[in-house]
Amino acid sequence: MNKMETKSLNILMIDDNEQITKMLSTFLELKKHKCTVVDEGREGLKIIKEGKHDVILLDLAMPEFDGFDVIKDLEKNNLLKNHKILVFTASTITQEELDKLVERGVSAYILKPIDIDILLSKIIETANT
Amino acid sequence: MLSIKHTLFLVSGSSSFIIFYMGIVNYITSPDKSTGIILLIFSVLVAIGTLLATVYISKSITKPIEKLAYNMAEFSKINKISKKNMIKTNVKKIFELNENFKSMGDKVERTIEVQMEYVKKLKEIDKRKVEFSSMVSHELKTPLVPILGYVQMLQKEDLFGKLNEKQREAVDEIYLSTIKLQRLVGDILTTQKLDLGKLVFEKDNLTVLELLQDIIKEFSPIASERKIKLSTNFNGDVHIFSDKDRINQVFSNLIKNAMDFVSPNTGIIEIGVNDKDTEKLEFFVRDNGTGISSDHQKDIFKKFYQIDTSSSRKRSGSGLGLAICKGIIEGLNGKMWVKSEKDVQTTFYFEIPKKSTIVSIKNISK
Repeated sequence: MNKMETKSLNILMIDDNEQITKMLSTFLELKKHKCTVVDEGREGLKIIKEGKHDVILLDLAMPEFDGFDVIKDLEKNNLLKNHKILVFTASTITQEELDKLVERGVSAYILKPIDIDILLSKIIETANT
Repeated sequence: MLSIKHTLFLVSGSSSFIIFYMGIVNYITSPDKSTGIILLIFSVLVAIGTLLATVYISKSITKPIEKLAYNMAEFSKINKISKKNMIKTNVKKIFELNENFKSMGDKVERTIEVQMEYVKKLKEIDKRKVEFSSMVSHELKTPLVPILGYVQMLQKEDLFGKLNEKQREAVDEIYLSTIKLQRLVGDILTTQKLDLGKLVFEKDNLTVLELLQDIIKEFSPIASERKIKLSTNFNGDVHIFSDKDRINQVFSNLIKNAMDFVSPNTGIIEIGVNDKDTEKLEFFVRDNGTGISSDHQKDIFKKFYQIDTSSSRKRSGSGLGLAICKGIIEGLNGKMWVKSEKDVQTTFYFEIPKKSTIVSIKNISK
């Protein structure tokens, strides 16, 4: 549609659900974007800090080191606002809590299950803010 | 009403006075002075005796009865026997009366305790059940993500290649069922939040006209696709302080329902407002669909209640829509009702305070 959509993005996906990450990377790669998939928080945090990605798709509910822990660590090191984090969750989080995450410096959020077209436009929108 | 004590003293006082008076009369009229004096002294003694007896009766019977009456009244208020008002009596029947009252009170007290324990346990079980089903619904959401994703990709011929007609049909059917399942899961979660009092309501200053126009705008494409007339006659300047997203959700559910019940080409859906109260605002969604017979009207707000099971398959709803609407409106401190005339028109009304005071719905966790 426009230049923004055609630009290839470097996307990091942190989610412990293999089926979801496989589906999303299939879709995003067909749309000519590059995907890196990590299935746990600690490793994800390390890669975020390398700063090579345009957008980070972060799941909140993960065993042990979860999405909240990733956000907390980035916040502690004053790094949260340096990265474009799109929270992608199906957990029982309230609207208030989601709004609070955005206030703290998370770029945006999106709730599972989701239309892949909406997800893609949200990823592009987040990358361009 | 006179108390027992006062009645007793009134009766005994007047009788003592009569005895004393008769003594004096006897003394004056008696020809024999010594007999007169004896009678006078006797009458004085009888009068004093009567008064003393009254005091005794008052102490041993009246006071305990009054205390007992007081204790009974207290008991009916707090369901507990007050320990401060102990009754002392040596009158056998009153003693028994008090003992019987105490044992009855103890039994009632214990029964109430046991019942409270049961209520607590039931609430706990109910809470755990809702929490479990809430967990289940969440677990259902996760596998829906890849299902929906792949189906959507299959529908895009530029991504996965061209499908033949049969494949296309199958994929479209899977897509529709997936969307239906997704909506059902979402509605179950909303219902559970309402049941647990966990649904959060926001408060904003809303322009009613804007709210209605946005809803019309949202549903116009589907309405014109099905050749259904969707409109509002409202044109006033009314503001309310309430939750926009929740009111939208209610309108959205009601309009989707109406669309399932009107016929294409002749269907008319009208949304609007009746502003006739300073405190409350009445909204409505009216359609000229098949209508709801009076037998069904009281039940349609129940979860999964469907009037006609044979035609329910083609409907898009989850069966929870109206229960959710009612729950939301009650959460906004309002009320909801329906008026319907079979095959003529059906109107769903909901009324909410203009300055929304949020009530937290029954909190089972407490």
